[in-house]
Amino acid sequence: MDPGYYSDPPLLVLASLASGPKHGHAMIEDIERLCGTRLGPGALYGAIARLEQQGWIKPLPAEERRHPYRITPDGLKVLRAKLTKLHDFSKAGLKRLEAR
Amino acid sequence: MNRRLAHLLTRLYPRRWRERYGEEFEEFLLDSRAGPKTWMDVLRGAAGEYIHPAIGGAMNEYRTSFGTVVRQPSALIPLGMALTALTVVLIHIAVYGAAREADEGPTAHIWQLLMVAQLPALLVFGIRWLPKAPKQAMGVLALLVTAILAAMAPVLILHL
Repeated sequence: MDPGYYSDPPLLVLASLASGPKHGHAMIEDIERLCGTRLGPGALYGAIARLEQQGWIKPLPAEERRHPYRITPDGLKVLRAKLTKLHDFSKAGLKRLEAR
Repeated sequence: MNRRLAHLLTRLYPRRWRERYGEEFEEFLLDSRAGPKTWMDVLRGAAGEYIHPAIGGAMNEYRTSFGTVVRQPSALIPLGMALTALTVVLIHIAVYGAAREADEGPTAHIWQLLMVAQLPALLVFGIRWLPKAPKQAMGVLALLVTAILAAMAPVLILHL
């Protein structure tokens, strides 16, 4: 059975930037390696715009035609909180399955 | 993707979004695979920006509630100091009465320190939160000013 793919673009972008600054295409490749989800340009830039407006990521000076972004300390806090919540949910769900 | 198509797809987004991301999005599209999947994704993204704009919309206000802002240390510290100053004055009045003392005692010094020390925290709060969440920050500032006035009221009214 195909387990599908995980799609929460802002969370995926934050998780990708947690390992260092990246430009858009590098984020897409990294996210695909991380969880099998390939974000399209609209989904990626929708997430980038929202994360930047929240102050969770910041743009770095452009390198040739590429525009890298980095995660901010607030972004790291948010990512940690979201992943912890997801981890707790996943643990509780798996525990229920084990009990069957 | 060719430049003409990338430009057309970028034009689908709202003007304010394009002013910030248009140029880099177009460059990004030039290096992206062209095809119905990409076009649909961009269409969905552009429609989303009209429905829930990331720029110029109420997104930040929605995500940053008054509760979130008031729980920030730069808001909690001055609020705590003002309430402590008020408590110190009220305890002093309860124990020693409202008569003015010739010399400033330790209570007066503690009160003065608390009132002065909260000003830098208040300034830090304003600088940090007014640009991010103006509406919520103004609400918190109103609360802080009320707390400060409450701490000053017994001293001014009773001429302590």
